[in-house]
Amino acid sequence: METLADLASPIAIGVLLGGLYVVIALGLSLVFGVMKVINVAHGDLVILGSYFAYVMSTSWGLDPILSLVVGIPLFFIMGVFIERFLLHRAFRMSADAALIVAFGISLIIQNGAQLVWTPLSRGLMTSYTLESLKIGDVYLPVVYLVDFAMALVVVLAVHQFLKRTYLGQAITAASQDSETAQLMGINPARVYQIAFGIAMALAAIAGVSLALTFPFTPKSGVPFLIIAFGVIILGGLGSMVGTFIGGMIFGLSQTLGGHFLGPTGQLLVPFVMVLVVLTIRPQGLFGR
Amino acid sequence: MPLISLGVVTIVLAVLPKMGVPRVLPLYLFHFFVFLAMANMWNLLAGYSGLLALCPAAFIGLAAYTMTILTWVDVPFYVGIIAGGAAAALFAAIISPSVFRMKGVYFAIGTLVVPEILRLVFLRWRPVGGELHGGGAGYMVKGMAGVTMEHTYWLGLAIGVASVIVVGIILRSKLGLGLAAIRDNDATAASSGIDVFRLKLYSFVIAAFIMGAAGAIFYSYQGYIEPSAGFHIKWLMTALLATVIGGKGIEGGPLVGTIIVVILHFQLARYGELSLLIQGIILVVIMLAAPQGIMGLARDLRNGGGFRALLGSASQGRIKPRQI
Repeated sequence: METLADLASPIAIGVLLGGLYVVIALGLSLVFGVMKVINVAHGDLVILGSYFAYVMSTSWGLDPILSLVVGIPLFFIMGVFIERFLLHRAFRMSADAALIVAFGISLIIQNGAQLVWTPLSRGLMTSYTLESLKIGDVYLPVVYLVDFAMALVVVLAVHQFLKRTYLGQAITAASQDSETAQLMGINPARVYQIAFGIAMALAAIAGVSLALTFPFTPKSGVPFLIIAFGVIILGGLGSMVGTFIGGMIFGLSQTLGGHFLGPTGQLLVPFVMVLVVLTIRPQGLFGR
Repeated sequence: MPLISLGVVTIVLAVLPKMGVPRVLPLYLFHFFVFLAMANMWNLLAGYSGLLALCPAAFIGLAAYTMTILTWVDVPFYVGIIAGGAAAALFAAIISPSVFRMKGVYFAIGTLVVPEILRLVFLRWRPVGGELHGGGAGYMVKGMAGVTMEHTYWLGLAIGVASVIVVGIILRSKLGLGLAAIRDNDATAASSGIDVFRLKLYSFVIAAFIMGAAGAIFYSYQGYIEPSAGFHIKWLMTALLATVIGGKGIEGGPLVGTIIVVILHFQLARYGELSLLIQGIILVVIMLAAPQGIMGLARDLRNGGGFRALLGSASQGRIKPRQI
């Protein structure tokens, strides 16, 4: 007999899982919003973030979340360089060219990671990995709670950054109308570099979150990229609030799909929802 | 004239396996034909119709599955190949109303999700045969007894040549003109009385059929299919890499690009990950250094008379306004 109590667990896990998806999708959404480029390498950049945390914790004994103190600036600088020397030139040719270059970067990262770290599945073990919190009848794994907390912090931070700081406003302006922004004295080339840098920093955070929650291999980027696409399509490309709600919807429909249809039904439900949303409202539920 | 040379080349290639050439050559050529068919069709979509379709794997996997499943109910595999192509074409027609509503990049990501959904469906759904063979929902291709590498080779040759002829006919027909108009500016094309949806649909369905048939032929050679391989992103990579290296939107582009992709495929096969790593680097370098691909570079050299003109056209390409 199906009762509401049975559903409490998948609903709670779905919302928390949605938090992880939000962090993964945020960088993708930012780059799309600002540059109108689909960064198909984003999933692999996230996995690169996972490997960074893995290396930091195995060879330096650093807690994955603490390792972000190094990881965030490092990834930000990498992002600026990738944008400046690779993506930007393609981007000026056409959106297709940028997409294809991003594909190349994705291949390079994926297979480079396989050479360096072997195709074996890895995971991050911390003192809290196997802990869980009991609320009522529902057991909530601590890592899921950590993911969700990180998602909240990241979304709020990015939102405040875009709203309150000069740089953030410049990024928003360039994403709304790059030509007018240029007339107002904003240098779009620099804005793009910084936006891509931020997206990379977000990938580093998402990488840690992901590595805490799931085992990963060098090839894990693609499924998560597709999930992130799903999230931002549901929420609307380039909309921060939309991305957050999209992540929640995706996570929820995944766990509820798994609950009713069994393990292989998990991702089927959200993806079918994505296609339905695309058909009815191509700009996403919250897109402009 | 090109028709005669195409005929001559086809006949030479057809008798090749009977002439006692080293056994690897037909194998190389078989891959070349199949990849060529896919690249030609991707070029038709991305280069001529303005459809950056990231879903070749959907057509390939679906057609290969149709063929394989039909062999389980005692349908001969060559009938299955046609049925597979037809299934892919039908699928393309079914999804077209929803995916064509999306423009540009939206279309690209919308189509990228499609193979993933099919992969999940085929992981769940086993239309025939109760037990699992190996992992996932894999199937052996049945009824392949007595089919030699030569037969497979000829099938490959047929689909490769068919793809060249189909692209040739389309580009010289009204459909090709209409597609070019849509690619360059679909609003203008629509206002000139071109039925944008119908023309895109034609090229989408044709491409799906030939990509699907090529995929089914490939899996009749492979002898085994499972969802993760059949709907793998590598199919997109193959078509995209061959087209971009050779020259997107140039009729001879995929031909040149596929030669390079096949050589890379075999020469780098023993290096595993390094192979794809190198392919990735080539893709980035070609895109940044010669966005028009090898054939585009050759065309610029020929038309402009030398390297100076080439440099000029390259810098022109960079300030071209980007399309969204």
